[in-house]
Amino acid sequence: MIEFFDVTKEYNNQTALRNITFSIEKGEMVFVTGTSGSGKTTLLKLIYLAEKPDKGEISVAGWETEKLKESSIPLLRRNVGIVFQDFRLLNNRNVFENVALVLRIRNMNEKDIRTKVYHSLKTVNLRHKSDSVPEALSGGEQQRVVIARAIVAEPTLLLADEPTGNLDVDTAAGIMRIFNEINAKGTTVLIATHNRELFKNTGRRVLRLDSGNLVGEEAE
Amino acid sequence: MTVPYSLRLSLQRLFGEIWINLLSILTIAAGLFIVSLSFIPVYNLDVVAKKLPDKFSMIVYLDNSLNRNDINQVVNSLKKNKEVNSIRYISKDEALKELKSTLRDSTFIFEGLDENPLPDSLEIKLRRDAVDPNAVREFSEKAARIDGITEINYGEKFLSTIYYLKVGLQTLGTIFIIIMSAGIIFVCYSTVKILFYRRKEEIETFKLLGASKGFIRTPFLIEGAFIGGSGGTLSLIGIYLFSYIVFFRLADKVPIFKSVAIPENLFLSLPLVGILLGITGAVIALGRLKY
Ligand SMILES: Nc1ncnc2c1ncn2[C@@H]1O[C@H](COP(=O)(O)OP(=O)(O)OP(=O)(O)O)[C@@H](O)[C@H]1O
Ligand SMILES: [Mg+2]
Repeated sequence: MIEFFDVTKEYNNQTALRNITFSIEKGEMVFVTGTSGSGKTTLLKLIYLAEKPDKGEISVAGWETEKLKESSIPLLRRNVGIVFQDFRLLNNRNVFENVALVLRIRNMNEKDIRTKVYHSLKTVNLRHKSDSVPEALSGGEQQRVVIARAIVAEPTLLLADEPTGNLDVDTAAGIMRIFNEINAKGTTVLIATHNRELFKNTGRRVLRLDSGNLVGEEAE
Repeated sequence: MTVPYSLRLSLQRLFGEIWINLLSILTIAAGLFIVSLSFIPVYNLDVVAKKLPDKFSMIVYLDNSLNRNDINQVVNSLKKNKEVNSIRYISKDEALKELKSTLRDSTFIFEGLDENPLPDSLEIKLRRDAVDPNAVREFSEKAARIDGITEINYGEKFLSTIYYLKVGLQTLGTIFIIIMSAGIIFVCYSTVKILFYRRKEEIETFKLLGASKGFIRTPFLIEGAFIGGSGGTLSLIGIYLFSYIVFFRLADKVPIFKSVAIPENLFLSLPLVGILLGITGAVIALGRLKY
């Protein structure tokens, strides 16, 4: 599903990722961990093409990203659900419309949109907030809207950047349960987190980043 | 599904940013209003200029010694020229009668005149498209070589006036329309550009969620069309109000306004013109969206 070969990424001559090579199989659930600034977000951004590598090759869902035409980038992104670390919720529309946007972009009809959006909001226990503006929600609620938006289109790949950063232990456990269910249905899941509790004793593979270097990928 | 959603999106944006949009609409309306207004005199002059060629005629004076047969021959050789539309024969008696009726109040001029001093003549009407200074001069030179023609007369000044009026109007009109269109396109361009930059974050999110270029662009195009179209409609209303006041109300006091023609059908296309200019501005503003 995801392959990195000798990938290096620099921001203004400062290396964020150095000679990274790894691969993630279809249907796997994998974690990326490391201290703040170790390059977790950068690694995810390379996958959804928000950034380009300075060196090396990346392939996602069978697409070699380097050879991908500009017009095909939306097609690749439609296979990917993303939980952004900075949320990227739009405050000029309500929660329902924020989640529905993903489906409108995919030209889905209004009836299916309603069904899927409400289902997705119910999954994260926010059905009752669908008319609220994101600004009017708590940090944890906003985070769950972002998760609802990431899963609503049933992506083949789910990228989650600190998905439990603003959540209490119980709610975080609930979110992890959702991710496990989605993964069980076949979606490949990649979660970036510095919260060890999320992957401790799960038997899942953990990619460890240290100052941009991949220093381990064994399960914990 | 894309179009209705895009439509909803653009309407939300249009009313969400009502002031900047209203300002653009008013600017465009004013621009189109000025164009339309200055078009009225241009249009009227053009109407007049178009009628002038019909009024234009040449008079060919014939040698006094010609008999009917000779005159027919002259007429035939004139008719061989493709510029000629019609030829009317005016005998010297007729010419005198016409002259007398024009000078009805001064018939004393003719007292003591026992012989008609006027020659026989031909009045030539040229085809509409042959009425331009060069063509007429060439034709008259040709005609002058025909035996039996003593003199050719036509209003050279009149002719060049028609001609330069026509060319001048066309040039002036074209330049004016180009400048104004550019101005209106620029207003739409700036509006859409501003809307675009205000939505940069939102557009970035759209892209990350997998939106195609079309999905992102369509609302902006609709907005451009709406702003341009509203401006056009407003200018149409303005021009109607204006012409009502000036040409109907004021016509009682200032009679010359009565004869002013208003190109109504042309003005009805103002909203459409606005829409086209608006879309053009939006297309230029969006340029090539990059991912
Ligand atoms: N757009 C950018 N421009 C310049 N430098 C950047 C940019 N984005 C990230 N960096 C730098 O790259 C390094 C890795 O950043 P990244 O966001 O990937 O870290 P992270 O592991 O996600 O951290 P955190 O846990 O705090 O989210 C950091 O040193 C950061 O300062
Ligand atoms: Mg990060």
